[in-house]
Amino acid sequence: MAVELADVHPTRQELLKLKRRKTLAEGIVDILKKDLDVLIVTLFDYLKSIPSTRDQIQDALKEGYKLFIEAEMLTGARKIEEISMVVQPIQFEVTKSTKEKVLGIAFPAFELSQGNTIPSGPRFSLLDTPRNLDESASKIKNALNLIIKLAETEACIREVLDVIAVKKRQINRIEYKILPRLDAAIRYVELIIEEAERQDAIRVRVLQRKRKERAMKRG
Amino acid sequence: MGVWKYKHITPTIIADKLSLIKPKDLVELADKDMEQVYSMLTKTPYNPEISAISAQERNFISFETALLKHLMKTYEKIAENSPKDVRVLVYAFLKKFEADNIKTLLRFKLAGVNTEEALRFITPIGKLDESRCRKILENSKSLRDVVEQLLTLEYGLVLTEPLLEFEKTGNILLLEVALDKYVYAQLWTAVEKLKGLDKKIAKTVVGTQIFSANVRIILRSKAEGFSQDEMMRHLIIVPEVFDEKGLEEVAKTTDVKECIKKMLETSNFAATKDWQYMLKDIAKGFETSRSLEFLDTALDRSLLRTNLQMLRRYTSFFNVGSILAFMNLKWVEVKNLNSIMKGLEDGFSPNEIKTMLLLPD
Repeated sequence: MAVELADVHPTRQELLKLKRRKTLAEGIVDILKKDLDVLIVTLFDYLKSIPSTRDQIQDALKEGYKLFIEAEMLTGARKIEEISMVVQPIQFEVTKSTKEKVLGIAFPAFELSQGNTIPSGPRFSLLDTPRNLDESASKIKNALNLIIKLAETEACIREVLDVIAVKKRQINRIEYKILPRLDAAIRYVELIIEEAERQDAIRVRVLQRKRKERAMKRG
Repeated sequence: MGVWKYKHITPTIIADKLSLIKPKDLVELADKDMEQVYSMLTKTPYNPEISAISAQERNFISFETALLKHLMKTYEKIAENSPKDVRVLVYAFLKKFEADNIKTLLRFKLAGVNTEEALRFITPIGKLDESRCRKILENSKSLRDVVEQLLTLEYGLVLTEPLLEFEKTGNILLLEVALDKYVYAQLWTAVEKLKGLDKKIAKTVVGTQIFSANVRIILRSKAEGFSQDEMMRHLIIVPEVFDEKGLEEVAKTTDVKECIKKMLETSNFAATKDWQYMLKDIAKGFETSRSLEFLDTALDRSLLRTNLQMLRRYTSFFNVGSILAFMNLKWVEVKNLNSIMKGLEDGFSPNEIKTMLLLPD
């Protein structure tokens, strides 16, 4: 601190500069705190959506697997297993992009898309398999979309947490380092200025006393 | 000659029909566990096949295989004892199972599965017994080889042209659809060769099967948004059952609801009472659930109803109706037992299993 204060010029102009800097820093802290509040609200919104998304995934998967077992009950597990060996798999792709949501921060956005290799017609025999198999595939695909949505939410939460950490560090740095330093510098300059004024006052009084004494000696 | 030709088969059918599991007993099975079901089946005609499953091999696949083996044995017995003209029809019916075996051979060859694993999925029937299937699998490296080996049977010629298309596109469905169309065409040809009351009954029963198959294809195509061309490729066109003009009107519909409504209005689709009831059941189910997951159960129940009505409308015996009805009832019994076993294995509740069963009204 002593080394830092050595760089401070103890003048009134410096005092004014220091006070202005302190006001600016306090303003920045206010803004950062408001940003932090917004981010925390966003974080809680995302957190609230997770249990319902997980429930939806659970329901979709449960329904999908139930329909799949029903298909096996209707057609026979052997037939379904046999058909599964030659059915053309669907290639799913997840495309990652960004979207601006809160405070101009770029949040990750995931989108599930199907590859170009899907046949335009049926993927398996319409006579050898029951309708339940189509519905099961549809439910599982719905579950996949929800899983991607959950992954996106979790990625956004991680992003929000990172930004919250940065903001907190900035607030703490300003509140616990910069502002105290500025306060210390302001007090130092005020002290020096007061001391100089006191010295000046004493000098004036001494001069006045000596003038008086000279005047009395002459008189 | 008339009814006298049924003198051998009728007692067999009567005896076998009496040994079918009663619907009430079938429903009760859904409340039991797998061991109890196994134990109960050893007291039925399924005993030899069920008892052959060792304790270590007891699972749904071995159970399903045992039931199918019994079913094929029953069908072959019926074919052997049937009158000459009906035998042709029964063997045509069995071609569906031969075609299933061929599809299995094609699928496993395409997937590169070894012979022993593939043979677990084959239920020997007719000309496609285990040794022939083993020989086909061991002597072929590709689907072309399999088709060439089938040239000694009628199926090889049926698959020759679709094989060329498969080799361009890699879509095995082309071969499967060709087999389905051939089998149903053969079935209808066998029906046309019957005479009198037998022909009338067989046309109703087999016609309903073909109609049901096509309704399945149409509604699933509509629900999945397949093109008209794709749908047409899969349909089984038998002019007496499925008029192309009526089909064009149905094909133009845009969604499932409109499609069912159009089928009910179009005279060719609603030609018989049985088909009307079938379509009305489907319409009702779709109104309630807005999905088609009930479709297969509704169609199968309709087929069961048609078979039982054939027995009620005409005398129960001394015509082809009793044979076809018994064959379908036996098939339904096997399906129900499979549903129960699969449901028990996967922890379905008794009520959930019971909703999947095909039971007479």
